[in-house]
Amino acid sequence: MSNNVTLRLDDVHVTYRVFEERRPSLKDLAANRFRRAAYREIHAVRGVSLTAQEGEVIGVIGGNGAGKSTLLRAIAGLIPPTSGAVYAVSQPSLLGVGAALQPSVSGRRNIELGCLALGMSRKDLAERFEDIVAFAGLADHIDLPLRTYSTGMRARLHFAIATSIEPELLLIDEALSVGDSEFRKRSRKRIEELRERAGTVLIVSHNLRTLSRMCSRVLWIEEGQLVKDGDADDVLDAYRASGDGDDD
Amino acid sequence: MSVATPGPPSGLKPMSVTPPLREYIARLWQRREFAMSMAAGEFHAKNAAMSLGGWWHLLNPLLQLGIYWLIFGVLLGVDRGVVNFIGFLAAGIFIFQYSQRSITGGASSISKNLSLIRSLQFPRALLPISAVLREALTLRVALLVAATILLLTREWLTVAWLAVIPVLVLQSMFNLGGALIAARLADKVRDIENVLPFVFRLLFYASGVLFLADRYIPDLADPALEQTFRTLFIINPLYSFLSLVRHYTLLTISQDHVDLMWLSAVVWSVGLLIIGLVFFRAGEATYGRG
Repeated sequence: MSNNVTLRLDDVHVTYRVFEERRPSLKDLAANRFRRAAYREIHAVRGVSLTAQEGEVIGVIGGNGAGKSTLLRAIAGLIPPTSGAVYAVSQPSLLGVGAALQPSVSGRRNIELGCLALGMSRKDLAERFEDIVAFAGLADHIDLPLRTYSTGMRARLHFAIATSIEPELLLIDEALSVGDSEFRKRSRKRIEELRERAGTVLIVSHNLRTLSRMCSRVLWIEEGQLVKDGDADDVLDAYRASGDGDDD
Repeated sequence: MSVATPGPPSGLKPMSVTPPLREYIARLWQRREFAMSMAAGEFHAKNAAMSLGGWWHLLNPLLQLGIYWLIFGVLLGVDRGVVNFIGFLAAGIFIFQYSQRSITGGASSISKNLSLIRSLQFPRALLPISAVLREALTLRVALLVAATILLLTREWLTVAWLAVIPVLVLQSMFNLGGALIAARLADKVRDIENVLPFVFRLLFYASGVLFLADRYIPDLADPALEQTFRTLFIINPLYSFLSLVRHYTLLTISQDHVDLMWLSAVVWSVGLLIIGLVFFRAGEATYGRG
């Protein structure tokens, strides 16, 4: 394996404020002298440093609220780190769960708009369109609005769009868990292809068996800090031994 | 980046939520097809559920023009000093509405596309940009209607009509700047979306869309007051845009202070576009997060 670094995190901290559920009305604001009163500061990521190389598929594990999703969002450039720095070869693609793209328009239109938004040219789009439809397995539904799709179908479409631009860095936040076994097989193959093309993939999952099958390396995060970073099986064994794993 | 942190390894670049302005504009340009596709899609989808479908793009401006002409020209008679009142309206209303719709469209562009923002990473300014492009498509049809009406009302197609092109370019820049600013403000305070229609209702009357301001101002007895009013009109970019269009397309209308109107149009367009881009980009990380 070559030693080209694709991603480096230097002591990354992310703190964000969580406000009350609804936006304050003018009355609330006046009562609090125009300060938004009720918020909590969440120090979600506390000093994570790591280096990833091309061809690595890295699993990320940890309990709910450990800071895994926040870490991926910071790597993708969606939230600014409070301190520290993230360096990457190119803009990573982040795949999350529950992402809806555009619910009211057809799958076809979503593929067009999604690929163009990610910077694909019209020509590339025309060339890859059939592949994307085939990969998502949506040939029969492609002209129906997205809101008629099942959760799994939407996840498949989203995965197909996000990986069609062949990102050098792919971040997957639980997005594989909603697909059926057929799709999981296909997505594993796509991840393998990305890896072989010298890409780097980070996968957040609670499914330890999937991780041990796909990853060479695993990061274990608790309370925003790296507990362990190393060979997949070693870290997964330690995680299981701690009693947190739900290996089924 | 603090001094303590070592530089990036070769080949890596720092990920930042808000890239430098030049880089941001390069990313927008790379994705221009998205903005155009989005604009065209929304433009066509707008009337797709109607029985008359796309004909509404034509009927809409015609009906609007008809109603304003009937009420203000025939019933109320504010057509003082205007020979070709319906041509006068045609050359003013659609220009005004181009700005109105672009900026209100920009204000709702973020809240209308929250799910897209949450699923894909792209420069968010593409959304207000596509709102302005959509309105440019709407204007294209309305301008065809206006040109037809001008020719039917015995105006002549002259070389001077070409001057409309730079006016529309400047106005589009102005609209984009306004749409970007409105988008960020409305993302912070949704109430802006409800306030904007009233702002534009007021501007509609303050921009001389329905009356020839030059004919009403001299009624003021005090010359100093008159000068103040003239200045106020010309400072209003919407008045300058539509007065310039009228000046160059209507044989019977010759506006005073055309040079000052051009100045107003250029300053507003360039200024607002730059302010809009800088202001919108500074909020890049916050869109769609409440």
